[in-house]
Amino acid sequence: MKKALLSSLGLAACVLCTAPAHAHFMMTYTPETYMQKAENADFRLVFTHPTEAGSVMDMGGVQEFYAMHKRGDNLKKTDMKKYLKDITWANPGSKAPAYAATIPAKEIRSMGDHVFVLIPGYYLEKEEDVYMQQISKLILNVGGAPTSWNEPVGLPTEIVPMIKPYALWTGNIFQGQVLSKGKPVANAEIEVEYMSNMPNMATNTMPKESSVDYKNPSLVTQTIFADENGVFSFGIPKAGWWGFAALGVGPDTEYKGKGLSQDAVIWVQANDIK
Amino acid sequence: MKLLLATLVLSIQLFFAGEAFAHSALLNCFDNADGTFTCQGGYSDGSSATGIRIAVVDKSENILYEAILNSDSEVIIPFPKHQDFTILFDGGSGHSVQITSDVLVR
Repeated sequence: MKKALLSSLGLAACVLCTAPAHAHFMMTYTPETYMQKAENADFRLVFTHPTEAGSVMDMGGVQEFYAMHKRGDNLKKTDMKKYLKDITWANPGSKAPAYAATIPAKEIRSMGDHVFVLIPGYYLEKEEDVYMQQISKLILNVGGAPTSWNEPVGLPTEIVPMIKPYALWTGNIFQGQVLSKGKPVANAEIEVEYMSNMPNMATNTMPKESSVDYKNPSLVTQTIFADENGVFSFGIPKAGWWGFAALGVGPDTEYKGKGLSQDAVIWVQANDIK
Repeated sequence: MKLLLATLVLSIQLFFAGEAFAHSALLNCFDNADGTFTCQGGYSDGSSATGIRIAVVDKSENILYEAILNSDSEVIIPFPKHQDFTILFDGGSGHSVQITSDVLVR
């Protein structure tokens, strides 16, 4: 009885402790999601808490990193893993292995949408004794012609945007649909974070200084829910990068005998009207 | 009756004009590094540009090469001998766009 009480108290305290913690986000970042014509694109793949430059975590390697591009009716997959280089990403007070890639212009020279997909390895969240795997998408457009930005790419779980994620004005509503094995995930829980500590590509760091003054922890990581069709909506209040992570929506729920949260992440970029 | 017809004609014209200008013509060309370059045409709303004429012209506006965009809205064009040239996407009034050879993706 005493043990159970202590355990409950411990759990309650732990929940209390972790409640204000920032969300984990698989960051697939390149400075611009639109190019008038193809140029070399510099990428960083980092598992971190992008808001407030929180802890950096070891993503457990990269299973796949590729881009899908549609020319005519043909959807082509291009492996981008060969361009990855090991780096260490450092945020104030934390650092971990991460990846950099310079994607040559020749790989993205065709006009239209290039849907970049990152399938990382597994990260063990020791406090909760569960693994995490965040399958991440970022859509880069070249030349302005829309091609396949609103089509699923066949991932175990993914967020399919319903508005071009590279053509958002501040104030637009971003809508997406959460899929698991191609089927909508009703009532999916989605965490939303703003990249308020912009990555420094030269030093592979995030600065301590934030561009946002967060008045309470609930504003650091916002939580929203999808409807019965897996569709969610979020009004974009500020220009910059916004990450959406649908939690535990993937079909895989176990890894190495432990629980697994297989999440779907998408990054979008909003612009001010000037 | 005449007034009604005139109004109808004007309405139809406005309808088509509105639709026609709701998208922009787009042209992207890149070097294939084999003596040819590929041009891709399209529209900002994702419409196909199949069948649109592509012309390569020199500084004096002489036509060096002409082709029609294929079912993927693309065409492969041999590099002309001229160093500088312009590529024209001939989508008709309000839907034509051109780029110069110096902005080809190489």
